[in-house]
Amino acid sequence: MPRREHLLKIGVSGIRGVVGEFLTPALACSFAQAFGTYVGGGRVVVGRDTRTSGDMLVHAVSCGLLAAGCEVVKVGILPTPTIQMYVAATHAQGGIAVTASHNPPEYNALKLFNAQGLFFNNYERAELLDLYHQSDFRQATNAEIGRIVTDEQTAPKLHFRKVLAHVDADRIRRRKFRVALDAVNGAGAVTTPGFLRNTLGCDLEAIAIDPTKVFPREAEPKPETLGEIAELVRRGHRDIGFAQDPDGDRLAVIDETGFVLDNDDVLALAVDAALRRLPGDVVVNLTTSSVIDDVARAHGRKVYRTPVGEANVVETMQAVNAVIGGEGSNGGIIFPAVHLCRDSYTGMAFLLDRMAETGEKISTIAARLPKYFRRLGKAAFEHGRLGTLMQNLESRFPSAETDRTDGLKLLLPQGWIHVRASNTEPLLRIAVESKSEVEADKLYQEVLALFAA
Amino acid sequence: MAAEGARSLRISQVGLRGVVGSGLTAAHVLDFASAFGTFLEPGKGVVVGRDPRASGVMIREGVVAALLACGRNVIDLGIAPTPVIQHTIRRMDAAGGISIGASHNAAEWNALKFFGRNAIYLSTAEANELLDIYHLKKFDFVEWNQLGKLRIEENALDPYLDELAAVFDFDGLRNFRVVVDCCSGTSALILRRMNQRFGFNFILINEKMQGVAFAHEPATNRDMVALQLAPLMKPLTADAGFLFDADSDRVALATEDGTPVSEEVILPLLADYLLPRGPGKLIITNVSTTALVDEVASRHSGEVVRVPVGRQAAIDALSTYRPEQIALAGEGTGAIMMPQFRFVYDGIASMLAVLSMMRERGAGLCEIMRSYPKYSILKGQVSLVTHRIPALLAALRERYPDGRANVVDGLRVDWPGRWFHVRVSQTEPVVRIICEQRGDAPTQLYDELVEQVRSFA
Repeated sequence: MPRREHLLKIGVSGIRGVVGEFLTPALACSFAQAFGTYVGGGRVVVGRDTRTSGDMLVHAVSCGLLAAGCEVVKVGILPTPTIQMYVAATHAQGGIAVTASHNPPEYNALKLFNAQGLFFNNYERAELLDLYHQSDFRQATNAEIGRIVTDEQTAPKLHFRKVLAHVDADRIRRRKFRVALDAVNGAGAVTTPGFLRNTLGCDLEAIAIDPTKVFPREAEPKPETLGEIAELVRRGHRDIGFAQDPDGDRLAVIDETGFVLDNDDVLALAVDAALRRLPGDVVVNLTTSSVIDDVARAHGRKVYRTPVGEANVVETMQAVNAVIGGEGSNGGIIFPAVHLCRDSYTGMAFLLDRMAETGEKISTIAARLPKYFRRLGKAAFEHGRLGTLMQNLESRFPSAETDRTDGLKLLLPQGWIHVRASNTEPLLRIAVESKSEVEADKLYQEVLALFAA
Repeated sequence: MAAEGARSLRISQVGLRGVVGSGLTAAHVLDFASAFGTFLEPGKGVVVGRDPRASGVMIREGVVAALLACGRNVIDLGIAPTPVIQHTIRRMDAAGGISIGASHNAAEWNALKFFGRNAIYLSTAEANELLDIYHLKKFDFVEWNQLGKLRIEENALDPYLDELAAVFDFDGLRNFRVVVDCCSGTSALILRRMNQRFGFNFILINEKMQGVAFAHEPATNRDMVALQLAPLMKPLTADAGFLFDADSDRVALATEDGTPVSEEVILPLLADYLLPRGPGKLIITNVSTTALVDEVASRHSGEVVRVPVGRQAAIDALSTYRPEQIALAGEGTGAIMMPQFRFVYDGIASMLAVLSMMRERGAGLCEIMRSYPKYSILKGQVSLVTHRIPALLAALRERYPDGRANVVDGLRVDWPGRWFHVRVSQTEPVVRIICEQRGDAPTQLYDELVEQVRSFA
């Protein structure tokens, strides 16, 4: 008999699953009540992306928060970074974004934020999970139950104002850039057209900006899923194209030729833009390209590496007071001067500002980055075999410098290899990088062969 | 409050009830509403409304989430009287509905009441099925692209009033000067609209809806009428005074001279009005209700059917007759159902029936009350030791062998002009003792009963 698939994950990263059989309203309600108990009552902000299950889960989450004695501020459909900034600016006790980010439409999840609008650190998340399992929730009496208030207008203005403080908006507006947008019918559909058209004065042609429709493409913005927007940029002679994920924290960029820029290169351009403005160091995850090291070195700055995951990057950025950070492969740019979270709007503004400043095409600016060749892949593995596989890999490259912070990273003279078990699936994620395309292919094939054996 | 709340939760055939926080929690609400979404026949959505309790907002969020997850479209009326919720279910031909509100209980309580198609209360068989689904916790949640949608219904009140206007002669009633104690509940919504739209002359007190501090306990009984309503009757030169519970399904009244009327009298009063209008001749009520109803019935060749206490028994009894056989159904708590309103408890309709009676007879309430003989009722309760109940009831039956015994719910013994009823409460761990006599209070019988019940505690 085949094992029943359990499409639900409750762990330190919160709760995520396929809506219906797995992610039920009762689970979302209990988790929210645990959260409301953990933050100790007070005002909690609740927003969501455009998933069909969003409305149902917002009600379940609000029920749990009210039961824990919180007041609920419903902000409607908004990008996750916008929600995070609103939490911080309105002195709420915390916030919950109902979104499964880049996962397919049948999934949903809760992203949990503290009073500063930041992800909880690992210790806090473990505490919250214990509280959830113990079911020892605050149970408000009738007199202690709070209200629901609705505020859908304030947050986007607040977000845009914060972004504009770090670019020269006038010079962007003067250029009247011809921009294309693919908002995947996600939360960005509500706010991004206004941001580009009104706030930054762009001549905008947008697709997938209907928040009532399902995602027209795979939710994760990566080159193989962005054919339509790339075509739109090329055919429509656009200066640049942007693509967001459903909750508007991730960004992909298309140059004027219709070429989808490598996400690591987009991050490198953002790091360069940030370091031109502010002094400080950089934090990225272990899988992010060495191009970041080159850019930071050019500014005389240091790069810290963390395990994969936004929360890990954010935690280290806070600890070292970094100026910018992010995760290359998944299009996350984190610029704490705006907010300590992944923010596609900061990314868009930074790139347009660089184009306005230099008068150059985006392809020209990107071409100036050092060239690296990356190979990303995954391999299934049987439970119990992971240790052997990692050992084999290590003994195949005995002279490599190793980093075991998250899986195994081997630093070699000709490049690096990073292998880690996925947090969400029984898969190994493999990343290989080299300055030489031949070497990158060779290393990648060697790793695959080793795992296939 | 933990002491009261700790054992306050009650999940039964009539739904889910408890003190919010310590007894009734969000998790109960989610599961019970999910069970209801699973239980209902396919149909055009589910109507939801609530009374003004603060906890109603929390419960509404949970109910909506659960129904949407079951693929049900939800029509939310916001704060709405229970009779309006039931009317909307019928009007929209919805699959069913949920009323969130603890009716006559204090503010810290809340409850869910469930209605099926045509807004009727669930039968015992249906309620048992709902409970089985709840206990099994296997709910029919639909896939991500099949989820229900929420719609807010702003004006459910006017269509409800249209129906009342078709049954009652509004022109003949609107000049009555009527004082109403809304007790911070939903009746204010209806009555304000009736003043505005039809020119009624309702003077409202405690009309601001409150979530936490009700003006007083929202029970529809003589003591509550005496509290604020009755003393205003003479100063305001009112023709009649009415008191509603939080969700407007029950009513109590005061006469024009400021006398609070016993809650027991509403049913006989309405029986007196409705029986001659026909065609129904049956009055369905419970074994705890006043014998005055029997006396009124016999004046109009009506017949009283006595069933166990509680709404569920009345619903089940109703289902065994044709609607045209029934004159009315109700209890000695001011909760009355009339066939014209398809058997839902409706305090507003009950009030309009009383006013219609006054108009048609050309008589004031005092005069109408004088047409009934005096009955005196004594009510009390004793904490119980559950395992000794059968022995207690057997002993009482032996002690009073000369009366006519009815054992459908505890023990009721009737003599001409006198009766008592001893039963176990469905909502609290107590034995209730009720004793009534035509004329003066049956003090000696009552004291005897209390002593005997105590001897088994």
